[in-house]
Amino acid sequence: MLSENEIKILDFLKIVKRSNSEEIANKTGLSISSVLSLINLLAEKGYVRVEKKVEEYYALTEEGKKRKNEGLPEDILINKLNGKEEEINNVKTMLGEDFNIAISWAKKKGLIDIKKGKIIPKVSSHVSEEYYALFNLENANKNLIEVLERRGLVEKREKIIILVELLKEPEEITPTISNITHEILVSGEWKRYKFKKYNVAAFPPFFPISKKHYFKEFLEKVKDIMINLGFTEVNTGYVEMEFYNFDILFQPQDHPAREIHDSFSIEGIGKIDNQDLLNNVKKMHESSWKYEWKQEIALRLMLRSQSTATTARVLASKPNPPLKVFTVGKVFRPDAIDATHLIEFHQLDGLIIDDNFTFRDLLGVLREIFYRLGIREIKFKPAYFPFTEPSVEVYGYLEKLGWVEMCGAGLLRPEILNAVGIKSRAGAWGIGLERLAMSFLNINDIRLLYSNNIEYIREMKVNLW
Amino acid sequence: MVTIILNKNKLLNKLGIDGNLLENILFNLKSEMKMLDENNLEIEINADRLDLLSSDGISRAVKGLLERELGEAKYKVVDTDFKLIIHNVRSRPYALAAVVYNANIDLQELIQFQEKLHSTIGRKRKKVAIGIHDLNKIDTKIIEYKEIPTTYKFIPLNGNREMTIDEVIYQTEQGKLYGKLSIFDNLSPSIIQSDGQVLSIPPIINSEKSKIDERTKNFFIDVTGTSFDAVAQTLDLLVTNLAESGGTIGKVKIEYENKRVSNVDYSPLLVHKTISVNKNYIYNTLGIDKDKEKDICKHIMRMRMDCEEYSANIKVIVPPYRIDIINSIDIVEDVAMSIGYNNLIPSKYLISNYGNYDYITLLERRIRELSIGANFIEIFNFVLIKESKLFDKKYIKILNPISEEYNAVRNSLIPVLLDFLSKNQHAKFPVRVFEIGDVVIKDNTTDTGYRNDKRVTYAIMDSRVSYEDIQAPIHYILSSMGITPNYIETNSDIFIEGRVANVLYKNQAIGILGEIKPEILLKFDIEYPIVMAELYVTKIMELIRV
Repeated sequence: MLSENEIKILDFLKIVKRSNSEEIANKTGLSISSVLSLINLLAEKGYVRVEKKVEEYYALTEEGKKRKNEGLPEDILINKLNGKEEEINNVKTMLGEDFNIAISWAKKKGLIDIKKGKIIPKVSSHVSEEYYALFNLENANKNLIEVLERRGLVEKREKIIILVELLKEPEEITPTISNITHEILVSGEWKRYKFKKYNVAAFPPFFPISKKHYFKEFLEKVKDIMINLGFTEVNTGYVEMEFYNFDILFQPQDHPAREIHDSFSIEGIGKIDNQDLLNNVKKMHESSWKYEWKQEIALRLMLRSQSTATTARVLASKPNPPLKVFTVGKVFRPDAIDATHLIEFHQLDGLIIDDNFTFRDLLGVLREIFYRLGIREIKFKPAYFPFTEPSVEVYGYLEKLGWVEMCGAGLLRPEILNAVGIKSRAGAWGIGLERLAMSFLNINDIRLLYSNNIEYIREMKVNLW
Repeated sequence: MVTIILNKNKLLNKLGIDGNLLENILFNLKSEMKMLDENNLEIEINADRLDLLSSDGISRAVKGLLERELGEAKYKVVDTDFKLIIHNVRSRPYALAAVVYNANIDLQELIQFQEKLHSTIGRKRKKVAIGIHDLNKIDTKIIEYKEIPTTYKFIPLNGNREMTIDEVIYQTEQGKLYGKLSIFDNLSPSIIQSDGQVLSIPPIINSEKSKIDERTKNFFIDVTGTSFDAVAQTLDLLVTNLAESGGTIGKVKIEYENKRVSNVDYSPLLVHKTISVNKNYIYNTLGIDKDKEKDICKHIMRMRMDCEEYSANIKVIVPPYRIDIINSIDIVEDVAMSIGYNNLIPSKYLISNYGNYDYITLLERRIRELSIGANFIEIFNFVLIKESKLFDKKYIKILNPISEEYNAVRNSLIPVLLDFLSKNQHAKFPVRVFEIGDVVIKDNTTDTGYRNDKRVTYAIMDSRVSYEDIQAPIHYILSSMGITPNYIETNSDIFIEGRVANVLYKNQAIGILGEIKPEILLKFDIEYPIVMAELYVTKIMELIRV
């Protein structure tokens, strides 16, 4: 492929067959430096043969240039005398510093005589042959050049001439361009051009692609799984009353899990208008746990420490069974932040209320959820939670970690169902999502789920399946 | 979970089984076992099964599941001459006592059992405290529980001189930890011999006088506290586990001088509770086949409880060591545990209904897609934040933060994103990010006085950015949702005057956008210009859902 300028040069050479770099520059209007690089390219491509030649030539010296403008001193002398005699001293004044040169060359050429302190011209006007030569050094007589060189008016110099000989003519010469523009498209001019080749194997420059957050996408996937299993999504606020986080869930007010270092406290108290519910919960606590239940403790505010607080609010609303709800929500617990612990994290909580719901049904639902989360191997362990009986922990098998506890679940205690006035059985569970996400996303530091490094987020691969 | 450490060989010899089988059985008793070192096992016990906190309790349960012994473990109970007189003790009014003869228990394990009971049912001795004494070192048959002045002297456990109670409280480790729980008007509770010698000052410390050692076989146990039931249960747990090691339980006569408790003559109470359970309730709750699991009583007895079978019901006699059994649902769980959770085949549960997303989730998903389309990369930050980073001073402060970095709940995503950007100034530019998530704001119409508010916030940081760089994408994100916004100039502490607008829809503010003030950038140590927008998603949902 030939460029526009390469074609210009070849077009010229088609006519003259042989030329040199200077001539090409003159005829094509390209700069000498572009011509030099272009003919080298053409030589590489086999279109021309290039020969380098050193040529001598004469050029005017600084004095030469001056004499070319003003005339030679001996000629000036003759012309000033204009055929008359003159005192030497007067001539000296007339010619200044050129006096000696003028007298010596005029005598040498036989143009004057000197007698009794006077200069006597033999002619009234004169122009020397060498003066004409100054205007045409290339064609000047060799003897004259020698004289000029001796007089210091010219000097010998060298120049490099690149001789170029056309070897073959391009079969079909089409010019190329870099960009298509609107103008060349509509004018049809594009047909005259070919497209300049790029280095298509080179890597591209930085391009900031936008994408959804990996962990957020995992949480949305969890929601999709639950929706597909026929559950309805519910959400409630982060600020919660201890009542929904603990009391309604049968957690006694002096339970160790309610101690100050196990949840974040907030100033203020909430309000509950449903007096029956308050009374029932009070009764439930006092008859089972044998202590005086205090409403003011139940109304205290906290950041919810389990997403069961959300399902507890569903229970308190006394819904009509059958009911299947879930929430994916954030919970807060004081802890040391490290590679496996954060002080805020997500849970998936689910609740099924159905007349004939059984413990085996609950195990079946849990197995199904874990299967869809990609945990194919699970086992059940008896467990204890204040608000469920029977209670179960689900252990899932992870390639890297082995058996890992993933979920707490159980049938809601009849005491709770009585307190909220639900006659059916109910199953509930809570699944911590961060650890599952880490396994799903192949991340080994929990803090990376919330990375504040944009380059990490940019480079995070998208999970395809 | 409560962790105990037991001698591996002693336990396995006592049970006559290997470690793997024990691990399996414990797993089905809600517990986890692992090797701590060559000689010791670490066992995690679930907080409801306090009877498993000693090797004797574990042994009793394991024997049941191995069917070596079935039903309640029966222990020898004898009368004694000991009497506990309980006076008015205001800080912890209840006390009971018991004697155990010929117990065969490792001293370290007994102390561990006592401490684990203190930290669980005892609520760190606040609710219940236990004193265990060498019976042979007790000189009087009448023991009193009463308040004594804090100037009273005795030699505390492991002490070498007499000290006043005041000195114990201010100078000893135990005193500093528990002293404040019980002292009232310069009076301290005490378990004291009728001759005036102190045996213990609950819940702080025992006396050196009645100290137990490796050779102690006969024990006097006092339990004091603020809840009578918890005191009685703790004593029952202690004596039954000591009796399981071969001991004989001795009854102590109880006299409440102030008649606060009138129906108790002797302790330990060894409470037996009878629960009648309909068999169908068990079958239906677990979802098991009544023909396959005919012998429900057998399962109850494997769990070391006595059981009587009637046509429709079973009657379960809950022994004193199973204080976790409250009512029939707890019996159901024990049946399930005896069957084995992993022998219950999970069923295919289906009820035909469709799931529904919360509307806010649907809206959030659309906004996230449009935001990606507008070339913002999604980020995801914490909800908790350092309060000094928040601009709007109406925020929720955490009363008990664990770190100053996270002592408040975010009330806007703007500071969250500025914080993020300040950490990414060396990234390749431009940095275009967005986050959608909840903030918490005050709202008097809710029952907590607060509510979550969904926000979506955008930021562009580049060597050069201006108002239109953020206004244009926001405008077209909104118009793609069918919302044609207006912009009205506003004032802001965060944005440059004349370069900040409220985003309006139906004459209500649904967001704010503009160029961040240099002083704000510098506050966050940011050296590049930023434009931002925050949209109020919850508000938008209210306006577009008719």
